[in-house]
Amino acid sequence: MAKFPDTLIPPPLRKPAKPGQNGHRNGNGASPNGDSEEKSVVVEKLKEAPVDLVGWVDERTGASPFLTGMLLRKVPKGTNWFYTLGSATMFAFIVQALTGVFLAMYYTPSPVEAYASITNITNDVFMGEFVRGLHKWGSSVMIILIFLHMGRVFFFGAYKYPRELNWVIGVVLIVLTLVMGLTGYLLPFDQRSYWATIVAMNINGTGPIVGPYLADFLRAGAEFESTTLSRFYALHMLLVPGAIIALIGAHLYLVVKLGTTAPPWVRGDTKPKSLRKEKVG
Amino acid sequence: MEKPKPAGYFEGESMTRRGAFTLGGQAVGGLAGVALVLPLVGFAVAPILDTPEERWEKVGNVDDFDADVYRPVITTIRSGIGEAGKTTVYVRQGSIDLEEDPNTFVAVSTRCAHLGCPVRFVRAAGIFSCPCHGGAYDFEGKVIGGPPVRPLDRFQTRVVDGQVEVGPRYSVTGDLEPVRARDPGEFTGGIWEYLYPPRPSTPPAPPS
Amino acid sequence: MDAGQKEEYLREYEVLKKKGKPFFPYAVAKDSVMFLVVVVVIAVMSIILGAEQGPKADPTTTTYTPRPEWYFFFLFELLRVLKPAALTPLATIGIPTMALVLLLLLPFYDRNPERDPRRRPVATTAGIMVIIAMALLTFLGAEAGAPTEIEMDVAPQYEDGKVAVAGQGCLTCHKIGENGGDLGPELTDIGSKLPAAGIRRTLINPSGIMPPYSALPPDKLDSMVEFLASLR
Repeated sequence: MAKFPDTLIPPPLRKPAKPGQNGHRNGNGASPNGDSEEKSVVVEKLKEAPVDLVGWVDERTGASPFLTGMLLRKVPKGTNWFYTLGSATMFAFIVQALTGVFLAMYYTPSPVEAYASITNITNDVFMGEFVRGLHKWGSSVMIILIFLHMGRVFFFGAYKYPRELNWVIGVVLIVLTLVMGLTGYLLPFDQRSYWATIVAMNINGTGPIVGPYLADFLRAGAEFESTTLSRFYALHMLLVPGAIIALIGAHLYLVVKLGTTAPPWVRGDTKPKSLRKEKVG
Repeated sequence: MEKPKPAGYFEGESMTRRGAFTLGGQAVGGLAGVALVLPLVGFAVAPILDTPEERWEKVGNVDDFDADVYRPVITTIRSGIGEAGKTTVYVRQGSIDLEEDPNTFVAVSTRCAHLGCPVRFVRAAGIFSCPCHGGAYDFEGKVIGGPPVRPLDRFQTRVVDGQVEVGPRYSVTGDLEPVRARDPGEFTGGIWEYLYPPRPSTPPAPPS
Repeated sequence: MDAGQKEEYLREYEVLKKKGKPFFPYAVAKDSVMFLVVVVVIAVMSIILGAEQGPKADPTTTTYTPRPEWYFFFLFELLRVLKPAALTPLATIGIPTMALVLLLLLPFYDRNPERDPRRRPVATTAGIMVIIAMALLTFLGAEAGAPTEIEMDVAPQYEDGKVAVAGQGCLTCHKIGENGGDLGPELTDIGSKLPAAGIRRTLINPSGIMPPYSALPPDKLDSMVEFLASLR
């Protein structure tokens, strides 16, 4: 039965013990066995305090069954290091998100001032070049990891029944990651950024009928406009990361629910070998 | 066995109270959703429908330009964003050899018609060369090789008080007939006018 | 997969799961190590490779050679190799969209219940070929030289000629070493195909769509001819 631990409540506010339970708590008198015993009881209570606290939170959130289900589930026999690629991709995304938030504190999304704000970050801000480097190389690392993860899933056949939906979500995540690379790439607004983005938007324009309007939508007009950079910034900071986080949530939910596959060369013996031979005939 | 009628049922009832509330709730919720989303979508999509104001920029005196070589000039196509709103335009006088009026001027865009990389004019060879994917254009801007899909875009020109002025962009067909400005990579002329339709975000084409 | 195969898979999976280890702490430990590796790799790359700022965006340039980020090199190279103009929409929209649709619908047309790569020859071969193709295109895209420089090394007396040839737009149509286009014949060993006098004649009075270079000052023309004649 969880209750708020006594040791965290100041003594004047503690409820006195009921008569007959803990002898040395009755009245205001000194303990019958001396102060050392009271101290050891206090120490005992202190040791239990974290558990009591967790119990207090658990009683109000019901988090325990969820956490035990997620953390203590079994992964199949034979799970090896290849299976860490998915979570490694997520960790790379977390690195990107965190460094991105801090870079956003110094960046100005205006075509006139963007380059100067990046110069400021690189040269004047404490550890600015390091954080910018983390974000820049983090994007390459994330793309490498996500392709390795997709390759692993493909070669292990882990996209087959019952995990088809997870694969679809994963492909959408790869596309969104590449979109993040594309939109983020314009933000430093140097020569390479600008021209790579111009070409990318024109590539969109080559699609028949819809293409020209799609290119106009991305560019906010027919040429590079005053709001083009802001548009890319909003996509890169808000819309696409939001979608990625939502889809990662769905992806992880399915992974926990359906379980990860075993490597395909690890077989479980559901029937004795002789029966399998009979099936071939 | 028919479902038991709910309490308060009378003959000729067309909609239950439950049905009424369900429908009403969906209608009101839908209305709220639409009221929120439509203006936002319109907000994001508006630039597609907005025609920019026509700009004419002075680029030099009439005497500064020859008919047999292009001179690069820098002009502003979008104001208010500093360097990002400028572009290089190659300007020359109309050439008699090409059956053009020497009182008019030809302004060719540096935007490659393949995917938009900056082309450069090679004086010795009289060709435009694109560094990205190897596109090559002749002196008039027509494609002589590589992946570009149409000749180089041009800008409208006019002469005001002895000053050459460069105006809005327009694209051309393979025969250098003017059409409304298209993005790089879009074919022009014939059926392509419908497959790559003209957009309100571009200025109208000049008369041919 | 029919219902029988699905059931068989689920049964086998249950057996394998029972024999497995709990996610926490075994898999979590591996994941934590990978987390550390990822963070350390990114930090080391940031420290060693740095994050230098390039020159400011200049839309008026005529000398810059645009290039995308390395993870788009395969698309960029695809656009370079598909020379005919009519194939441009295919390379920009057609092929990537088809590839995306194939990838997205993979679990729906791959009906083989087999998961071992050794026993799915079609899938494994297709996968390996796609990986090789993308790696090759990415590598070629990275190697693609700028069309206004000739990267091959030449003896110092031919430097002037090399710079002149690079600056006169020859690389738009001709390939010399790693750089240049293929509208015209490759000139990497033109010196062994044509005598110097023949090279000079072609420059002054070329055939086909090649523009004449007769208007060049004579010393420039001489240095170009010398350089080209030295290419064997």
